[in-house]
Amino acid sequence: MDRDAVRADVKQLLATGLRLQVAPETIPDQEPIFGEALGLDSIDALELVVLVEDRFHVSIPDEEVGRRAFASVDALVDFILAERPG
Amino acid sequence: MPPRVVITGIGAVSALGGDVAALTAGLIEGRCGIGPLTLFPYRGRCATAAEVPEAVPAAVAVAPATARRLSRPDRFALTAASEACRRAGLGDDLRRDAALFVGATTGGMFETEQVYGRRRAGAERRYRLSRMVGTPVSTAASVLSQALAIYGPQATVSTACSSSALAVAMAADAIRRGAARVALAVGTDGLCRLTYAGFDALQALDPDRCRPFDRERRGLSLGEGAGAVVLEDADHARARGARVQAVFLGYGTATDAHHVTAPHPAGAGALAALRAALAAGGLAPEAVDYVNAHGTGTPQNDAVEVRVLRDVLGAQLARIPVSASKSQLGHCLGAAGALETVVTVLALDEGILPPTVSLRDPDPACADVDLVRTPGRRARLGVALTSSYGFGGHNVTIALGRAER
Repeated sequence: MDRDAVRADVKQLLATGLRLQVAPETIPDQEPIFGEALGLDSIDALELVVLVEDRFHVSIPDEEVGRRAFASVDALVDFILAERPG
Repeated sequence: MPPRVVITGIGAVSALGGDVAALTAGLIEGRCGIGPLTLFPYRGRCATAAEVPEAVPAAVAVAPATARRLSRPDRFALTAASEACRRAGLGDDLRRDAALFVGATTGGMFETEQVYGRRRAGAERRYRLSRMVGTPVSTAASVLSQALAIYGPQATVSTACSSSALAVAMAADAIRRGAARVALAVGTDGLCRLTYAGFDALQALDPDRCRPFDRERRGLSLGEGAGAVVLEDADHARARGARVQAVFLGYGTATDAHHVTAPHPAGAGALAALRAALAAGGLAPEAVDYVNAHGTGTPQNDAVEVRVLRDVLGAQLARIPVSASKSQLGHCLGAAGALETVVTVLALDEGILPPTVSLRDPDPACADVDLVRTPGRRARLGVALTSSYGFGGHNVTIALGRAER
Protein backbone atom coordinates (compact mmCIF):
# COMPACT_ATOMS: atom_id res chain seq x y z
CA MET A 1 0.00 0.00 0.00
CA ASP A 2 1.59 3.26 -1.06
CA ARG A 3 1.56 6.55 0.74
CA ASP A 4 -1.35 8.08 -1.22
CA ALA A 5 -3.50 5.02 -0.68
CA VAL A 6 -2.80 5.07 3.08
CA ARG A 7 -3.60 8.79 3.19
CA ALA A 8 -6.93 8.26 1.40
CA ASP A 9 -7.68 5.38 3.73
CA VAL A 10 -6.92 7.47 6.82
CA LYS A 11 -9.23 10.25 5.63
CA GLN A 12 -11.98 7.77 4.87
CA LEU A 13 -11.56 6.30 8.35
CA LEU A 14 -11.81 9.75 9.95
CA ALA A 15 -14.91 10.70 7.99
CA THR A 16 -16.89 7.48 8.27
CA GLY A 17 -15.45 6.04 11.50
CA LEU A 18 -16.10 9.24 13.44
CA ARG A 19 -19.24 10.01 11.42
CA LEU A 20 -18.04 13.47 10.37
CA GLN A 21 -20.25 15.43 8.00
CA VAL A 22 -17.34 16.13 5.64
CA ALA A 23 -16.09 14.70 2.35
CA PRO A 24 -12.90 12.70 3.12
CA GLU A 25 -10.85 14.49 0.43
CA THR A 26 -11.50 17.88 2.07
CA ILE A 27 -9.71 16.87 5.30
CA PRO A 28 -6.44 18.82 5.39
CA ASP A 29 -3.10 16.93 5.20
CA GLN A 30 -1.04 19.06 7.52
CA GLU A 31 -3.30 20.55 10.18
CA PRO A 32 -3.54 18.96 13.63
CA ILE A 33 -6.22 16.24 13.59
CA PHE A 34 -7.46 17.48 16.95
CA GLY A 35 -7.28 21.15 15.98
CA GLU A 36 -10.11 23.46 15.01
CA ALA A 37 -10.83 22.07 11.56
CA LEU A 38 -12.69 18.86 12.36
CA GLY A 39 -14.27 19.73 15.73
CA LEU A 40 -13.06 16.55 17.42
CA ASP A 41 -12.86 16.06 21.18
CA SER A 42 -11.21 13.72 23.67
CA ILE A 43 -13.77 10.94 23.18
CA ASP A 44 -13.05 11.04 19.44
CA ALA A 45 -9.36 10.61 20.33
CA LEU A 46 -10.03 7.40 22.25
CA GLU A 47 -12.24 6.25 19.41
CA LEU A 48 -9.65 7.06 16.75
CA VAL A 49 -7.00 5.03 18.56
CA VAL A 50 -9.22 1.96 18.29
CA LEU A 51 -10.10 2.66 14.66
CA VAL A 52 -6.48 3.17 13.57
CA GLU A 53 -5.16 0.19 15.54
CA ASP A 54 -7.79 -2.14 14.11
CA ARG A 55 -7.55 -0.89 10.56
CA PHE A 56 -3.76 -0.66 10.21
CA HIS A 57 -2.55 -3.20 12.82
CA VAL A 58 -0.39 -0.67 14.64
CA SER A 59 -0.24 0.11 18.35
CA ILE A 60 -0.85 3.48 19.98
CA PRO A 61 -0.14 2.51 23.58
CA ASP A 62 -0.09 5.91 25.27
CA GLU A 63 -0.79 9.62 24.99
CA GLU A 64 2.76 10.45 23.99
CA VAL A 65 2.63 8.16 20.94
CA GLY A 66 -0.89 9.39 20.21
CA ARG A 67 0.20 13.02 20.22
CA ARG A 68 2.90 12.23 17.69
CA ALA A 69 0.69 10.04 15.49
CA PHE A 70 -2.24 12.48 15.46
CA ALA A 71 -0.19 15.62 14.85
CA SER A 72 -1.65 15.72 11.33
CA VAL A 73 -2.95 13.39 8.63
CA ASP A 74 0.54 13.32 7.10
CA ALA A 75 2.07 12.50 10.50
CA LEU A 76 -0.43 9.68 10.94
CA VAL A 77 0.43 8.30 7.50
CA ASP A 78 4.15 8.42 8.42
CA PHE A 79 3.43 6.68 11.70
CA ILE A 80 1.38 3.91 10.03
CA LEU A 81 4.00 3.34 7.31
CA ALA A 82 6.76 3.14 9.92
CA GLU A 83 4.96 1.00 12.49
CA ARG A 84 2.74 -1.42 10.66
CA PRO A 85 3.84 -5.01 10.38
CA GLY A 86 5.22 -6.41 7.12
CA MET B 1 -46.66 30.03 52.30
CA PRO B 2 -44.81 28.16 49.57
CA PRO B 3 -45.01 29.85 46.18
CA ARG B 4 -47.70 28.92 43.68
CA VAL B 5 -46.34 27.04 40.69
CA VAL B 6 -47.36 27.69 37.10
CA ILE B 7 -46.41 26.20 33.75
CA THR B 8 -44.97 28.70 31.29
CA GLY B 9 -43.50 26.50 28.58
CA ILE B 10 -43.94 23.10 26.95
CA GLY B 11 -42.05 21.10 24.35
CA ALA B 12 -42.77 17.78 22.68
CA VAL B 13 -41.26 15.21 20.36
CA SER B 14 -43.54 12.29 19.58
CA ALA B 15 -44.80 10.01 16.85
CA LEU B 16 -47.11 12.88 15.91
CA GLY B 17 -44.13 15.12 15.09
CA GLY B 18 -41.19 17.09 16.39
CA ASP B 19 -42.84 19.99 18.19
CA VAL B 20 -45.88 21.15 20.15
CA ALA B 21 -47.59 22.45 17.00
CA ALA B 22 -47.44 18.99 15.42
CA LEU B 23 -48.66 17.39 18.64
CA THR B 24 -51.56 19.84 18.96
CA ALA B 25 -52.59 19.30 15.34
CA GLY B 26 -52.39 15.53 15.80
CA LEU B 27 -54.51 15.66 18.95
CA ILE B 28 -57.16 17.79 17.27
CA GLU B 29 -57.18 15.73 14.08
CA GLY B 30 -57.29 12.50 16.07
CA ARG B 31 -54.23 11.06 14.35
CA CYS B 32 -52.77 7.77 15.53
CA GLY B 33 -48.97 7.68 15.62
CA ILE B 34 -48.77 3.91 15.85
CA GLY B 35 -47.55 2.14 12.69
CA PRO B 36 -45.12 -0.55 11.57
CA LEU B 37 -41.96 -0.99 13.67
CA THR B 38 -39.08 0.05 11.38
CA LEU B 39 -36.27 1.03 13.75
CA PHE B 40 -34.87 -2.49 14.00
CA PRO B 41 -35.75 -5.93 12.65
CA TYR B 42 -37.87 -7.85 15.11
CA ARG B 43 -39.33 -11.32 14.91
CA GLY B 44 -41.98 -11.87 17.51
CA ARG B 45 -45.69 -11.63 18.12
CA CYS B 46 -45.88 -7.93 17.28
CA ALA B 47 -44.49 -5.49 14.77
CA THR B 48 -46.02 -2.08 15.56
CA ALA B 49 -44.82 0.96 17.47
CA ALA B 50 -45.26 4.72 17.69
CA GLU B 51 -41.91 5.81 16.25
CA VAL B 52 -40.67 9.38 16.11
CA PRO B 53 -40.41 10.34 12.41
CA GLU B 54 -36.82 10.62 11.19
CA ALA B 55 -37.50 14.15 9.97
CA VAL B 56 -37.47 15.46 13.54
CA PRO B 57 -34.66 17.99 13.67
CA ALA B 58 -31.41 17.00 15.31
CA ALA B 59 -29.91 18.73 18.30
CA VAL B 60 -29.47 22.43 18.63
CA ALA B 61 -26.71 24.37 20.35
CA VAL B 62 -24.35 21.52 21.21
CA ALA B 63 -20.74 21.08 20.18
CA PRO B 64 -20.49 19.18 16.88
CA ALA B 65 -18.60 16.33 18.57
CA THR B 66 -21.41 15.94 21.13
CA ALA B 67 -24.12 16.20 18.47
CA ARG B 68 -22.57 13.35 16.48
CA ARG B 69 -22.79 11.05 19.47
CA LEU B 70 -26.24 11.89 20.85
CA SER B 71 -28.42 8.87 21.48
CA ARG B 72 -31.93 9.12 20.03
CA PRO B 73 -33.56 9.82 23.43
CA ASP B 74 -30.95 12.47 24.22
CA ARG B 75 -31.68 14.11 20.87
CA PHE B 76 -35.44 13.98 21.55
CA ALA B 77 -34.87 15.47 25.01
CA LEU B 78 -32.75 18.29 23.65
CA THR B 79 -35.28 19.17 20.96
CA ALA B 80 -38.23 19.14 23.39
CA ALA B 81 -36.38 20.99 26.17
CA SER B 82 -35.12 23.66 23.77
CA GLU B 83 -38.66 24.20 22.54
CA ALA B 84 -40.05 24.47 26.08
CA CYS B 85 -37.39 27.01 27.08
CA ARG B 86 -37.95 29.02 23.90
CA ARG B 87 -41.73 29.04 24.33
CA ALA B 88 -41.33 30.07 27.98
CA GLY B 89 -39.01 32.89 26.92
CA LEU B 90 -36.19 31.64 29.13
CA GLY B 91 -33.02 33.43 28.13
CA ASP B 92 -29.52 32.58 29.34
CA ASP B 93 -30.00 34.45 32.63
CA LEU B 94 -33.20 32.58 33.54
CA ARG B 95 -31.86 29.17 32.57
CA ARG B 96 -28.64 29.61 34.56
CA ASP B 97 -30.16 29.03 38.01
CA ALA B 98 -32.98 26.75 36.85
CA ALA B 99 -33.46 23.29 38.31
CA LEU B 100 -33.52 20.31 35.99
CA PHE B 101 -35.33 17.00 36.52
CA VAL B 102 -35.28 14.21 33.98
CA GLY B 103 -37.30 11.01 33.91
CA ALA B 104 -36.14 8.14 31.69
CA THR B 105 -35.84 4.38 31.71
CA THR B 106 -33.45 2.98 29.09
CA GLY B 107 -31.10 5.82 28.05
CA GLY B 108 -29.04 5.02 24.96
CA MET B 109 -29.91 1.33 24.95
CA PHE B 110 -30.72 1.29 21.22
CA GLU B 111 -27.24 2.57 20.31
CA THR B 112 -25.64 0.17 22.78
CA GLU B 113 -27.50 -2.70 21.16
CA GLN B 114 -26.16 -1.58 17.77
CA VAL B 115 -22.57 -1.66 19.07
CA TYR B 116 -23.08 -5.08 20.58
CA GLY B 117 -24.68 -6.37 17.39
CA ARG B 118 -21.81 -5.17 15.19
CA ARG B 119 -19.24 -6.61 17.56
CA ARG B 120 -21.06 -9.92 17.73
CA ALA B 121 -21.37 -10.08 13.94
CA GLY B 122 -17.63 -9.52 13.65
CA ALA B 123 -18.03 -6.12 11.95
CA GLU B 124 -15.97 -4.50 14.71
CA ARG B 125 -13.18 -6.07 16.72
CA ARG B 126 -13.58 -3.85 19.74
CA TYR B 127 -16.41 -1.98 21.42
CA ARG B 128 -16.83 1.56 20.19
CA LEU B 129 -16.84 4.15 22.97
CA SER B 130 -18.65 6.79 20.93
CA ARG B 131 -21.73 4.60 20.59
CA MET B 132 -21.83 3.82 24.30
CA VAL B 133 -21.26 7.18 25.97
CA GLY B 134 -25.03 7.75 25.82
CA THR B 135 -25.92 4.48 27.55
CA PRO B 136 -26.69 5.72 31.09
CA VAL B 137 -30.09 7.34 31.74
CA SER B 138 -28.23 10.26 33.31
CA THR B 139 -26.73 11.45 30.00
CA ALA B 140 -29.90 13.29 28.97
CA ALA B 141 -29.56 15.64 31.95
CA SER B 142 -25.88 16.04 31.21
CA VAL B 143 -26.53 16.95 27.56
CA LEU B 144 -29.38 19.30 28.47
CA SER B 145 -27.43 21.12 31.14
CA GLN B 146 -24.48 21.63 28.77
CA ALA B 147 -26.51 22.67 25.75
CA LEU B 148 -28.89 24.97 27.62
CA ALA B 149 -26.36 26.19 30.23
CA ILE B 150 -28.43 25.12 33.25
CA TYR B 151 -26.42 25.16 36.49
CA GLY B 152 -29.09 24.65 39.19
CA PRO B 153 -30.10 21.55 41.16
CA GLN B 154 -30.39 18.46 38.98
CA ALA B 155 -31.64 14.88 39.25
CA THR B 156 -32.59 11.98 37.00
CA VAL B 157 -35.35 9.69 38.21
CA SER B 158 -36.36 6.29 36.94
CA THR B 159 -39.62 4.84 38.23
CA ALA B 160 -40.57 2.95 35.07
CA CYS B 161 -43.61 4.43 33.31
CA SER B 162 -44.17 7.18 35.87
CA SER B 163 -40.56 8.47 35.68
CA SER B 164 -41.22 11.81 34.08
CA ALA B 165 -44.51 12.44 35.87
CA LEU B 166 -42.36 12.20 38.98
CA ALA B 167 -39.81 14.55 37.35
CA VAL B 168 -42.59 17.13 36.87
CA ALA B 169 -43.64 16.70 40.50
CA MET B 170 -40.05 17.07 41.70
CA ALA B 171 -39.67 20.23 39.64
CA ALA B 172 -42.75 21.70 41.34
CA ASP B 173 -41.34 20.71 44.74
CA ALA B 174 -38.04 22.42 43.96
CA ILE B 175 -39.90 25.67 43.33
CA ARG B 176 -42.11 25.28 46.39
CA ARG B 177 -39.17 24.77 48.71
CA GLY B 178 -37.36 27.73 47.20
CA ALA B 179 -34.49 25.78 45.61
CA ALA B 180 -35.24 27.40 42.26
CA ARG B 181 -37.71 29.85 40.76
CA VAL B 182 -37.69 28.13 37.37
CA ALA B 183 -37.48 24.37 36.85
CA LEU B 184 -37.36 22.28 33.71
CA ALA B 185 -38.86 18.78 33.79
CA VAL B 186 -38.12 16.45 30.90
CA GLY B 187 -39.10 12.90 30.12
CA THR B 188 -37.41 10.97 27.35
CA ASP B 189 -37.13 7.43 26.05
CA GLY B 190 -36.37 5.78 22.73
CA LEU B 191 -37.50 2.45 21.37
CA CYS B 192 -34.98 -0.36 21.67
CA ARG B 193 -34.85 -4.12 21.33
CA LEU B 194 -34.62 -4.64 25.08
CA THR B 195 -37.85 -2.80 25.76
CA TYR B 196 -39.67 -4.28 22.80
CA ALA B 197 -38.66 -7.87 23.48
CA GLY B 198 -39.33 -7.43 27.20
CA PHE B 199 -42.89 -6.21 26.77
CA ASP B 200 -43.47 -8.86 24.10
CA ALA B 201 -42.24 -11.57 26.47
CA LEU B 202 -44.68 -10.25 29.06
CA GLN B 203 -47.41 -10.66 26.44
CA ALA B 204 -48.23 -7.04 27.16
CA LEU B 205 -48.21 -5.81 23.53
CA ASP B 206 -51.23 -5.48 21.28
CA PRO B 207 -50.25 -7.05 17.94
CA ASP B 208 -52.06 -4.22 16.15
CA ARG B 209 -52.75 -0.81 17.72
CA CYS B 210 -53.51 -0.47 21.41
CA ARG B 211 -57.16 0.16 22.25
CA PRO B 212 -57.42 1.57 25.75
CA PHE B 213 -60.78 0.99 27.47
CA ASP B 214 -62.05 -1.11 24.56
CA ARG B 215 -63.76 -4.44 25.11
CA GLU B 216 -61.27 -6.04 22.69
CA ARG B 217 -58.13 -4.45 24.10
CA ARG B 218 -55.17 -6.79 24.06
CA GLY B 219 -52.26 -4.78 25.34
CA LEU B 220 -50.21 -1.63 24.89
CA SER B 221 -48.31 -0.23 21.92
CA LEU B 222 -44.81 1.00 22.64
CA GLY B 223 -43.88 4.55 21.67
CA GLU B 224 -40.99 6.95 22.04
CA GLY B 225 -40.33 10.64 22.31
CA ALA B 226 -39.76 13.39 24.83
CA GLY B 227 -41.89 15.86 26.72
CA ALA B 228 -40.62 19.01 28.42
CA VAL B 229 -42.34 21.33 30.87
CA VAL B 230 -41.12 24.64 32.29
CA LEU B 231 -42.48 25.18 35.80
CA GLU B 232 -42.10 28.50 37.50
CA ASP B 233 -42.85 30.44 40.66
CA ALA B 234 -46.10 32.26 39.81
CA ASP B 235 -44.83 35.61 41.12
CA HIS B 236 -41.66 35.24 39.08
CA ALA B 237 -43.66 34.46 35.96
CA ARG B 238 -45.97 37.43 36.52
CA ALA B 239 -43.09 39.81 37.19
CA ARG B 240 -41.42 38.98 33.89
CA GLY B 241 -44.68 38.97 31.96
CA ALA B 242 -44.52 35.30 31.01
CA ARG B 243 -47.61 33.71 29.48
CA VAL B 244 -49.01 31.13 31.91
CA GLN B 245 -50.32 28.02 30.15
CA ALA B 246 -51.59 26.17 33.22
CA VAL B 247 -51.40 26.19 37.00
CA PHE B 248 -49.74 23.31 38.84
CA LEU B 249 -52.27 22.56 41.59
CA GLY B 250 -50.67 19.55 43.25
CA TYR B 251 -49.65 15.96 42.90
CA GLY B 252 -49.85 12.70 44.76
CA THR B 253 -47.56 9.72 44.72
CA ALA B 254 -47.92 6.31 46.35
CA THR B 255 -46.59 2.82 45.93
CA ASP B 256 -48.36 -0.53 45.47
CA ALA B 257 -45.61 -2.62 47.11
CA HIS B 258 -47.28 -5.53 45.38
CA HIS B 259 -45.74 -6.95 42.17
CA VAL B 260 -42.92 -6.29 39.68
CA THR B 261 -45.27 -5.79 36.71
CA ALA B 262 -48.93 -6.26 37.70
CA PRO B 263 -50.91 -3.43 39.24
CA HIS B 264 -52.42 -3.98 42.68
CA PRO B 265 -55.81 -5.64 42.02
CA ALA B 266 -57.68 -2.89 43.84
CA GLY B 267 -55.29 -0.19 42.63
CA ALA B 268 -54.24 0.65 46.18
CA GLY B 269 -51.29 2.85 45.18
CA ALA B 270 -53.09 4.49 42.27
CA LEU B 271 -56.01 5.25 44.54
CA ALA B 272 -53.79 6.78 47.19
CA ALA B 273 -51.91 8.86 44.58
CA LEU B 274 -55.16 10.21 43.10
CA ARG B 275 -56.56 11.07 46.53
CA ALA B 276 -53.31 12.74 47.52
CA ALA B 277 -53.26 14.84 44.32
CA LEU B 278 -56.80 16.09 44.99
CA ALA B 279 -55.95 16.82 48.62
CA ALA B 280 -52.76 18.66 47.65
CA GLY B 281 -54.74 20.87 45.29
CA GLY B 282 -57.61 21.32 47.75
CA LEU B 283 -59.88 19.80 45.12
CA ALA B 284 -63.20 17.99 45.51
CA PRO B 285 -64.32 15.51 42.82
CA GLU B 286 -66.83 18.17 41.72
CA ALA B 287 -63.93 20.37 40.58
CA VAL B 288 -62.45 17.85 38.14
CA ASP B 289 -63.31 18.46 34.46
CA TYR B 290 -61.04 16.02 32.63
CA VAL B 291 -58.87 12.98 33.28
CA ASN B 292 -55.94 12.20 31.01
CA ALA B 293 -55.74 8.55 31.99
CA HIS B 294 -52.69 6.33 32.22
CA GLY B 295 -54.80 4.17 29.83
CA THR B 296 -52.23 1.75 28.47
CA GLY B 297 -54.67 -0.65 26.81
CA THR B 298 -53.65 -3.70 28.83
CA PRO B 299 -56.64 -5.60 30.22
CA GLN B 300 -55.34 -5.25 33.80
CA ASN B 301 -54.38 -1.56 33.81
CA ASP B 302 -57.55 -0.15 32.34
CA ALA B 303 -59.80 -2.24 34.58
CA VAL B 304 -57.94 -1.19 37.72
CA GLU B 305 -57.74 2.44 36.59
CA VAL B 306 -61.50 2.74 36.02
CA ARG B 307 -62.10 1.16 39.41
CA VAL B 308 -59.80 3.74 41.02
CA LEU B 309 -61.52 6.65 39.23
CA ARG B 310 -64.91 5.32 40.36
CA ASP B 311 -63.77 4.88 43.95
CA VAL B 312 -62.35 8.41 44.21
CA LEU B 313 -64.62 10.47 41.95
CA GLY B 314 -67.85 8.60 42.77
CA ALA B 315 -71.01 9.89 41.09
CA GLN B 316 -69.00 12.73 39.51
CA LEU B 317 -67.22 10.26 37.22
CA ALA B 318 -70.20 10.10 34.83
CA ARG B 319 -69.78 13.76 33.83
CA ILE B 320 -65.94 13.80 33.62
CA PRO B 321 -64.46 13.17 30.17
CA VAL B 322 -61.63 10.61 30.19
CA SER B 323 -59.16 9.85 27.40
CA ALA B 324 -55.98 7.88 26.82
CA SER B 325 -53.27 9.69 24.88
CA LYS B 326 -51.38 6.40 24.52
CA SER B 327 -53.89 5.54 21.77
CA GLN B 328 -52.18 8.30 19.72
CA LEU B 329 -48.62 8.46 21.10
CA GLY B 330 -48.08 4.85 22.13
CA HIS B 331 -46.69 4.14 25.56
CA CYS B 332 -43.55 6.27 25.72
CA LEU B 333 -42.44 4.80 29.07
CA GLY B 334 -40.07 7.28 30.70
CA ALA B 335 -41.37 10.04 28.44
CA ALA B 336 -45.06 9.25 28.99
CA GLY B 337 -45.63 11.30 32.14
CA ALA B 338 -44.07 14.48 30.72
CA LEU B 339 -45.72 14.06 27.31
CA GLU B 340 -49.11 13.49 28.92
CA THR B 341 -48.55 16.50 31.17
CA VAL B 342 -47.95 18.47 27.97
CA VAL B 343 -51.18 17.05 26.48
CA THR B 344 -53.08 17.99 29.65
CA VAL B 345 -51.64 21.52 29.55
CA LEU B 346 -52.82 21.77 25.93
CA ALA B 347 -56.28 20.50 26.94
CA LEU B 348 -56.54 23.33 29.49
CA ASP B 349 -54.89 26.01 27.39
CA GLU B 350 -56.49 25.20 24.04
CA GLY B 351 -59.82 23.94 25.39
CA ILE B 352 -59.52 20.57 23.69
CA LEU B 353 -60.41 17.08 24.82
CA PRO B 354 -58.17 14.72 22.87
CA PRO B 355 -59.77 11.43 21.87
CA THR B 356 -58.97 7.79 22.55
CA VAL B 357 -58.61 7.24 18.83
CA SER B 358 -58.79 3.47 18.65
CA LEU B 359 -61.87 3.09 20.83
CA ARG B 360 -64.62 1.18 19.01
CA ASP B 361 -66.56 -0.84 21.52
CA PRO B 362 -66.08 0.34 25.10
CA ASP B 363 -65.57 -2.28 27.78
CA PRO B 364 -68.94 -2.74 29.56
CA ALA B 365 -66.98 -2.35 32.79
CA CYS B 366 -66.44 1.31 31.71
CA ALA B 367 -70.14 1.96 31.05
CA ASP B 368 -70.24 4.74 33.63
CA VAL B 369 -67.20 6.53 32.17
CA ASP B 370 -67.48 9.38 29.63
CA LEU B 371 -64.78 8.15 27.24
CA VAL B 372 -63.80 10.75 24.63
CA ARG B 373 -63.89 9.26 21.14
CA THR B 374 -62.62 10.47 17.79
CA PRO B 375 -62.66 13.27 16.78
CA GLY B 376 -62.33 14.64 20.30
CA ARG B 377 -64.25 17.61 21.65
CA ARG B 378 -63.92 21.25 22.54
CA ALA B 379 -64.49 22.18 26.17
CA ARG B 380 -63.53 24.89 28.59
CA LEU B 381 -61.84 23.06 31.43
CA GLY B 382 -61.05 24.27 34.92
CA VAL B 383 -59.15 21.34 36.44
CA ALA B 384 -57.57 18.32 34.76
CA LEU B 385 -55.80 15.27 36.17
CA THR B 386 -53.11 13.17 34.55
CA SER B 387 -52.02 9.83 36.00
CA SER B 388 -48.97 7.68 35.38
CA TYR B 389 -48.62 4.22 36.83
CA GLY B 390 -45.23 2.57 36.57
CA PHE B 391 -44.37 -1.11 36.67
CA GLY B 392 -43.40 -2.05 40.18
CA GLY B 393 -46.27 0.00 41.57
CA HIS B 394 -44.91 3.56 41.14
CA ASN B 395 -48.01 5.74 40.95
CA VAL B 396 -48.20 9.48 40.30
CA THR B 397 -51.19 11.73 39.70
CA ILE B 398 -50.81 15.41 38.81
CA ALA B 399 -53.56 18.03 39.08
CA LEU B 400 -53.42 21.05 36.77
CA GLY B 401 -55.71 24.06 36.46
CA ARG B 402 -56.55 26.53 33.71
CA ALA B 403 -54.58 29.77 33.84
CA GLU B 404 -56.56 32.76 35.07
CA ARG B 405 -56.71 35.46 32.44
